[in-house]
Amino acid sequence: MPARNHSQWTAEPPLQQGEWVDSRIYSDQEIFEEENEKLFKHIWVPVCHESELPNAYDFRTTSIAREPIIIVRGADNEVRAFLNVCPHRGMMIERRPSGSFLEGQPSGNPKRMTCMFHAWQFDMKGNCVYVAREQEGYQDRLCKENVGLRRLRCEVKFGGFVWVNLDDSPKVSLEEWAGPAFECLRETLDAEPLEVFHYHKAIVNTNYKLWHDTNSEFYHDFMHYHNRVTGFNDAYFARKNEAFDNGHVVVGTFTVNYENYEGFESRAELSFPHLPPNQWYMIDLFPGFNFNLRGSALRCDTVTPLGPNQVLIEFRGLGLKRDTPEERMTRINHHNSIWGPFGRNLHEDLVGVVGQGATMAPKSEPRRILHGRQENQTIHDENGMRHYYEEWGRWINRSPTNPTQPYTPRAGAAGDAAVAAAE
Amino acid sequence: MNKNGADAASKVRDTIYRATVALDDEKWNDWLGLCDESFHYAITAFSPEINKDMIYLQGSRKEMETLVSHLPKHNTDHSWLRRHTSVYTVDVEDDKATAVSSFVVYMNVLDGFNSHIEAGESRLFLTGKYYDTFKLDNGEAKFVKREVKIDNRRLDKGSHWPI
Ligand code: FES
Ligand SMILES: [Fe+2]
Repeated sequence: MPARNHSQWTAEPPLQQGEWVDSRIYSDQEIFEEENEKLFKHIWVPVCHESELPNAYDFRTTSIAREPIIIVRGADNEVRAFLNVCPHRGMMIERRPSGSFLEGQPSGNPKRMTCMFHAWQFDMKGNCVYVAREQEGYQDRLCKENVGLRRLRCEVKFGGFVWVNLDDSPKVSLEEWAGPAFECLRETLDAEPLEVFHYHKAIVNTNYKLWHDTNSEFYHDFMHYHNRVTGFNDAYFARKNEAFDNGHVVVGTFTVNYENYEGFESRAELSFPHLPPNQWYMIDLFPGFNFNLRGSALRCDTVTPLGPNQVLIEFRGLGLKRDTPEERMTRINHHNSIWGPFGRNLHEDLVGVVGQGATMAPKSEPRRILHGRQENQTIHDENGMRHYYEEWGRWINRSPTNPTQPYTPRAGAAGDAAVAAAE
Repeated sequence: MNKNGADAASKVRDTIYRATVALDDEKWNDWLGLCDESFHYAITAFSPEINKDMIYLQGSRKEMETLVSHLPKHNTDHSWLRRHTSVYTVDVEDDKATAVSSFVVYMNVLDGFNSHIEAGESRLFLTGKYYDTFKLDNGEAKFVKREVKIDNRRLDKGSHWPI
C-alpha cells in the first residue's frame, strides 16, 4: 500500500482484536495511576537479591508504586521488608541504597533502624524499641507498641531473589504466581547460592510495558547484529514462546553460536548447574520483570514505572556464589559484552524503546501498535505480548485495544496458556 | 624531578590529551595507535547498591580493535561524546609511568528523545577518573593500561564506544 492519508492511517488494521493495542495505554496519566493502584500494589515484585544483604543487619532500600521500602536481614538471618517510613512524622527512615545497621548512627544506636529526625528506633523485626522522651510527651496515651513499622509480605525465592508484595492478602501466593513459569530453570537457579556481580540502572522516557515487550519479543533481533550472527538458525526459529497463567511468558532455549561474532567465545565451560552448554532461557514475568539466562550468566531486569512515559529499569547480573575469581571474571565478561551499559545489545534495546517513547508521548495522537504475528508460537510469533495484554486488561479493567472501554475477554485468550502447555 | 623525568611526564600528558582528541573525534584507530600491543582497557565502577567493584567493559588491544571495527554494524545513538580531561598526577619510574586524570564526558545530543527538540544541547554524560599506565620508549609514552573508573551507575542508554 502506498503512504496513507489520515483516515487510512487511523483505520483499524486488518487483524483480529487483541492483535494490536492503542498507544494510550503507554502514555495516559490516568492509566498510569490505575496501574500503580490496581496492579503494582498487589503483585509480587523481585526487589533485589539476597546476596545484596549477605550479613545480619545489612539493609537495602527500594520502592514500589511510590512507596519507599526497606529490606533488612535480621540477627536470625531472616530477610524482612517494611515501609521505609517513620510512623512519627513521615521521615524516610533510611536514605542510603544499602549498608549495615551494625554501625551506630549520629542519632541512634547500633543494631537499630533509627529515624534521624527525632531519634525513634526500631529493631530488625520492625518493633519500635525507643521513643525519645516517651513518658514526658505521650504519658500513657501512646507507647512504643502502638508505633511499629509497617511490615510487608516478603519471601526469598527462585534463586535467592527477594520478593515483596504491598498487598497483605495477595490474590495468589508467590509460588502460585510465578512457580510454573520458573519451572524450566528452578533446578538450575536453586542448585546452589547465586551472587550479584553487576548493577546499573537506566531512567528512560518510555512506558515500562514497552521495555517488557522488548524483553519478550525476539522479532527485534533484526536490530541486534550480535543476535543475527550468533542466533539465526533453524533451532533459533523453532524456539517456542510459552504462555503461563498470570501473564507470564517463557521463551524456550536453543544453542547459541557465540563464536560467530568475532572475538566472542563459547560459554560451555561455565554453564549454570543442570544446563547443557550455551543455552538461552528467558522468563518474562508479568508485568515487568525479566530473568534471562545465557549459559554462564543470569540477568535480571526490574522496572519501576515513574510516569506514563518514564521508567526506571534496574539491571543485575548474577553468577554462582562459589565462583573462583577467574570464573567470576569470565562470567562478568560474558554478561557485560552483550548486556552491560557498554555492551553490544543493551544500548540498542534502550535506543529502541526511547524511540517508541518519543512517538507515543502523552497527548500525542493515539496509534495502533501491532503484535499480530502468528508463527505457531515460535520465536517471532507475538503471542507473548498478546498473552501479556490480555492479563493487563483483566487487572486494569480496560480494553488494551480501546482503553476507554472496559475489558472483555479476547476470543480464544483463555486458551493461551492451556494451548502452550499442551504442545 | 630531573630534566628527563620532566620530559617523560610531559610526554605522558601529551599522550593522554591526544587520546582525548582521538576519542572525541571517533578516530578509534588513532586512539589505538597510542596504545602498546600489551594494552588492556577497562571501564569500571563501584556500586554502593550491591557493594561491589564492577567491570562494565574490558578488553585487550586485540579485543578493542575488534570492538571498534564492528561498530558500523551496530545501531548506536549518534550523539557525540565530548571529553574534558585534566591530568592530575604523573609518576615516572624508569621506563614506566602512571598517571591519574579526572574527566567529564558531555553528550552533545544529536538523536536525544526527539532530535527536533533536543539536538544541539550538551548534557553531562559521565564523570570519573582515568588510571593510566604507560611504557616509555624512545621518547614516546604508550598506554599499556587504562582503567576508566566512572562514578555513574545510572547510564540510561549507555554507549557502544570506548570512553
Ligand atoms: S519523623 Fe521519625 S522520629 Fe520523628
Ligand atoms: Fe534486544
